[in-house]
Amino acid sequence: MNPTILVVEDEPEIRQFLRTSLKAEGYRVVESPNGRRGSLDAGLHKPDLAIVDLGLPDFDGIEVIRRIREWSPMPIIVLSARIQERSKIDALDTGADDYITKPFGVGELLARVRVALRHAVQPENGQRILNLGLTSVDLEKRRATKGDEEIHLTAIEFRLLACLAKHLDMVVTHRQLLQQVWGPTHVEDTHYLRVYMKQLREKLEPDPVRPKYLRTETGVGYRLVADENSGTEP
Amino acid sequence: MKWPGYEWSGYIGAAGATVAATLVGLGLDAYFHVVNVALVYLIAVVLVALRFSRGPVVAVSVLNVVAFNFFFIPPRGTFHVDDPQYLLTFAMMLGVGLIVSGLTDRVRARAQAQAALEIEAETERVRSALLASISHDLRTPLAVITGSSSTLAERGERLGAEERAALAQSIFQQARDMSELVTKVLQMTRLESGAIKLERGWDSLSEIAGAVLRRLHDRLATHLMMVDLPDDLPLVRVDASLIEQVLGNLLENAARHTPPRTLIRLRAQVAGGEMVVSVEDFGPGLPEGDLERIFKKFHKGAGLGLAICRAIVELHKGRIWAERLPGVGTAFRFTLPLETPPPMPVEAFAR
Repeated sequence: MNPTILVVEDEPEIRQFLRTSLKAEGYRVVESPNGRRGSLDAGLHKPDLAIVDLGLPDFDGIEVIRRIREWSPMPIIVLSARIQERSKIDALDTGADDYITKPFGVGELLARVRVALRHAVQPENGQRILNLGLTSVDLEKRRATKGDEEIHLTAIEFRLLACLAKHLDMVVTHRQLLQQVWGPTHVEDTHYLRVYMKQLREKLEPDPVRPKYLRTETGVGYRLVADENSGTEP
Repeated sequence: MKWPGYEWSGYIGAAGATVAATLVGLGLDAYFHVVNVALVYLIAVVLVALRFSRGPVVAVSVLNVVAFNFFFIPPRGTFHVDDPQYLLTFAMMLGVGLIVSGLTDRVRARAQAQAALEIEAETERVRSALLASISHDLRTPLAVITGSSSTLAERGERLGAEERAALAQSIFQQARDMSELVTKVLQMTRLESGAIKLERGWDSLSEIAGAVLRRLHDRLATHLMMVDLPDDLPLVRVDASLIEQVLGNLLENAARHTPPRTLIRLRAQVAGGEMVVSVEDFGPGLPEGDLERIFKKFHKGAGLGLAICRAIVELHKGRIWAERLPGVGTAFRFTLPLETPPPMPVEAFAR
């Protein structure tokens, strides 16, 4: 059966264009005009993915995410119209998987939806093998190689990479990374990330200044994008 | 505006005026009636009132009455008053002092209000110039969007697939440009009203630059990009999203105002305790007079981008400027203050 997508959005015009473009891709679409309805519809229709607008009339989109997260790990993409980074980051820290800033083109949206749906069917630990151009990283065996050459990664570098790989192609916030790699007392220490990402890029990226795989989401976090043929099997 | 030094000079002036009036009075005393001496004291009050605020005026009035009484009213050399009519003279001297001081206060207030009005008029003029330039910039895309979309809606079925696609594409493009402009206007308004609070964190300029270069990849594809960021560039404590906007605006600006295939160089270095970030282009260059003017928000061409850059850099306590490169081209540079970064976890050094 085709995946069902829940759209929680108060603007009818935006719902219309989302409905049209998602249906054209073969998805089933459930629409909710407000947060209360959205939370209910999520339970009622058990969608495969939710698209949640952050500026809803009754309560904040973040509240919708919180309610869904109480019982479901379904992928959630937030639509954010605000130029402030803050609400976006709060939504991600609350459990949203990715975001898209209004106004957006349909290509951008569909790409996010595809990635999020693909991610949902993957095993809990995400990718085991990452193919980053000539470099390949086996997260399970903790081995990184470039061609025949072995690349040495430190324990923390591996942990950081694994954290990003768990959410492959999607954004992971600074707070989430710091919490998972260094622990809850270091969630404010963003300078750790700067230094370690620099090291990782120097080891893994063909051009560290213009990273292709370890991408910066300025003010939000990082996104690991691997080559298509990455997978759970070597 | 009153500050302590100013107030003190007022009271010193008041005392000086009384001394001067007394000396002049003593000079006149031999030849003229004591009433004329009273007038000399009044002149002193008026002069103080013209120059200083109410406090010194009251002071000079009281001092004058005391001095007048002591030096000129019989019995002289005492504060005793024989003839009660002099009490009326004292009262009138005080009264005149207060009235004159009230009048000058009012004139002064009116002058200040006038100056404030002029500033407001200037702000208003800038605002309407900005509004005019924005509405001009909005009108073209709106006309394209209205025209193209109505063609599609009303005549769509008579058009070929290619024509329909072209119309739709231009709607998309124009709407995107418009949305960028609106974002910029909002951003400028928020920066000006002080509504933006910096969300500072330790960040890497190279990372921010990498993100901008990715975001603007298509737009910079017409030009030759060169990135020159030293490996050991220190971390900076900035609002990364805002600094990304600065870099983005400067790069877009360079690409927009130079011919295709012009070399654009993004550089950063540490100099004199701060970081200097530069976007240099090797295009035709700016006329000398424009180097400062382009940062004004209603300057044609540069649009709001550079005004936003300036506001953001200044919020970070940095400076931004444009300079001509020797030979050919223009450099836009801004500085970011450097601070001592916090300590790193141990593993960072154990490579």
